[in-house]
Amino acid sequence: MERLVVLVAVLPLGSALVIQLFSRRLGGRAGGVSVAFAAVTFILAAAVLWQALAGRPPAITGLGGSWGLLLFDPLGSLMAVVIAGISLIVHVYSVRYMAEEPGYARFFVLLDLMTAALLVMVAAGDLITLLIAWHLIGVLLYFLLGQDTRSPSAYRYGLWTLLTYRIGDLPLVLAAGLLYHAYGTWSLPEIFAAMASRPDGHAVLGLALPEVVGALVAVAAFARSAQFLLHTWLPYTMDGPTPVSALMHAGIVNAGGFLINRFAPVFVHTDGVLPWVFVVGLLSAVMGSMLMLTQNDIKKALGYSTMGQMGFMIMECGIGAFSLAIYHLIAHGLFKGTLFLGAGSVIHGARRDDGVPKDYLYTFVVERRPARQRQPWLLMAAITLAVPVTILMVAHWLVSEDYFQKQGAIVLLFFGWVTGAQLIFATYRMRSQNPWRLVGLGVFSFAVVVLGYTLISHAFDVFLYPDPAIRLQIYDAADIPLLRFDVLVGVVTAVIVLGWLLTYYGERHDAPRGGQRRRVGATAYALVSREFYVAGIYDRLARGLLAISRRLNVWLRWA
Amino acid sequence: MSIFSCLLAGLFLPLFPSSLVFNAVLRRLPHPWLPMVLLLVWPQIGLMLVLALEASPPDWVVPWALLTSALYALRALTLQDVRLWIGFLATSLWALLWLVVSGGGWAIAAPLHALGLSLPLVLLCLLGAGLTRRFGAARAGLPGGLAQSLPRYAGVLVVVVLAVIATPLFPAFFTMLGLVLHAAPAVPLTALALAGIWLLWSWAGARLLAGLVVGPAGGDGVADLSRLAAWGYVGVLAALVGAGIYGAMALT
Repeated sequence: MERLVVLVAVLPLGSALVIQLFSRRLGGRAGGVSVAFAAVTFILAAAVLWQALAGRPPAITGLGGSWGLLLFDPLGSLMAVVIAGISLIVHVYSVRYMAEEPGYARFFVLLDLMTAALLVMVAAGDLITLLIAWHLIGVLLYFLLGQDTRSPSAYRYGLWTLLTYRIGDLPLVLAAGLLYHAYGTWSLPEIFAAMASRPDGHAVLGLALPEVVGALVAVAAFARSAQFLLHTWLPYTMDGPTPVSALMHAGIVNAGGFLINRFAPVFVHTDGVLPWVFVVGLLSAVMGSMLMLTQNDIKKALGYSTMGQMGFMIMECGIGAFSLAIYHLIAHGLFKGTLFLGAGSVIHGARRDDGVPKDYLYTFVVERRPARQRQPWLLMAAITLAVPVTILMVAHWLVSEDYFQKQGAIVLLFFGWVTGAQLIFATYRMRSQNPWRLVGLGVFSFAVVVLGYTLISHAFDVFLYPDPAIRLQIYDAADIPLLRFDVLVGVVTAVIVLGWLLTYYGERHDAPRGGQRRRVGATAYALVSREFYVAGIYDRLARGLLAISRRLNVWLRWA
Repeated sequence: MSIFSCLLAGLFLPLFPSSLVFNAVLRRLPHPWLPMVLLLVWPQIGLMLVLALEASPPDWVVPWALLTSALYALRALTLQDVRLWIGFLATSLWALLWLVVSGGGWAIAAPLHALGLSLPLVLLCLLGAGLTRRFGAARAGLPGGLAQSLPRYAGVLVVVVLAVIATPLFPAFFTMLGLVLHAAPAVPLTALALAGIWLLWSWAGARLLAGLVVGPAGGDGVADLSRLAAWGYVGVLAALVGAGIYGAMALT
């Protein structure tokens, strides 16, 4: 089994080497060779996952020194399959997509190296190996995004990515330094075991070591997963080839969720880190979704959509639902990868024919005829509030009876309820000829999503964290004082309900917008359309630093 | 260690403003081989001086060395001339050797660290000389677009610059990693400064590469690097990677 883990990481490296050495002889077959290696890597990764599912205990293997260790555990084996699978799809897609592009062989070499770095990252069993893989991913992504060496703009935006990734590398290096100094080993399992035996044994600047390390790891994850203020690189890196965008959005950007899961044994000993992780994730989810809605460029909209999704993923980590974040990143990777790979052909096809069959369902949903009489609003309000709660309660009760004791679960339920209520509310506002049918369809979809999500995420929970005590500890680490939690839930509920009422009132009375409201609206729109000026501020800062650099060189006469 | 010895050593393990001397000398050397010898020998002289004194450098040297390193890393951001860039990066890298010699158990391996930092600079110097021979100057943007016109040359150049800016698995990466790891628990501010300097190197390297490699093809009819020479570079770079890994294994 250990050999298989090593092979999974080494095969893409072998592919890169073969293509680089024989690129002239291989010519257009370089893509085929790379696909063959990627396919074998995927099969082996699937075999490793199968072993993990069969209950084989975690194992570690290495080069013989104190680092260079590869870890076989449920998290690593699951992530390896995801990465190998997405990489295989991207490889297959690229064979023809990149055929006309210059640097065909170079592209596959870089793609293979990136796959290898990602696989080593998820299997890293020690801090140095993790740092090396983490660092190399940023460098390789820079060159993949700049595949078209004639395009200075691709390199310019690639540079943003590189610098943000480097900003994210550095907290991880600091965290590694602190852990090594405290425990005298690079091995992750040994560090986690030592920390579990004495969580309060070490302190840094008067703070408990797990708190500091947890915060540093979280910052590293934020940079990698494009969280708010470290997000500007993501929507602008669309000059790279489409397969690179797909790989980036499906398999690279979600490394933040993986990292937090990898350091779960550290986070269980933290007290105040996860609530902040939640806040950052929430902010990113809201900002990303808002920015997505104002884009008129489909690829940029997809970029901001990824930011929003990554916000949700980080938010899930922040409430202690670590394994749910892994499920989320896998689901997001699959659908976002599909969107990127399919966006071009969809747009191309839609120019000729929208492809939507004009059948009964289409007429019912799209070309709606309003009913003569609306349903009583009190009845609809009751349905809006009660039905989602019932579905959510039943779904979670199926998983665990004590589920409702955890704050994180309450937050998840709350978001689920808001989403469900919003769905039914929107359905009611659609004024269909047959409102019960429309509401029924909405409720059915909601029930399928909730049940599927709950049951699958529970399965992930049991697989990734088989020890129920650890699962409970993670949720406990995310808890905040009960009174503060209750007040927060109350305030957020009030804000949301108030928003609904305002929308309802505004639509019902069709109130004309006064001067003040219009000005506020225009300002808000300008702020969002300029992406909150974040990229602009960074640009100014960078230009300022470059100006200082130039001035210093002139003063010191280039010596 | 006396202030005089420190200042003398600071000429070779550059401390601003004595670092100006090294950069002025490097810029004025006419023959391409002389800068390469200088890059190899200069920090070793400094280390010999420091190690011969058998005394730890005074406390003020470390922040001064960090400031020197940060200053040259910042100034390297806007350089276009390859020779100047090499000089500034060398200054920024070698200044950190003061931290190595201050690090107790590390000091004995300091000459090897210096060699690991200098060798990629020597390779870059060689590549810069090749560009000057081909185009009359080795400057970003003149002619630019090397990836299109001289793909082999561009490939080697990219990897060598990555080696200079402490990318894994080159020796400079492990030196930086060691410095940050040792500094993080004891003096977090030093670790943060090191992290910032490392970031500036990445930025400077990416800007230099973008100026040299990216863009439409320029310099028609200019010969690319021969296969043999390319293999030579690959061999040296592979040896550097091997040395980096071996050194890190031995140190940890």
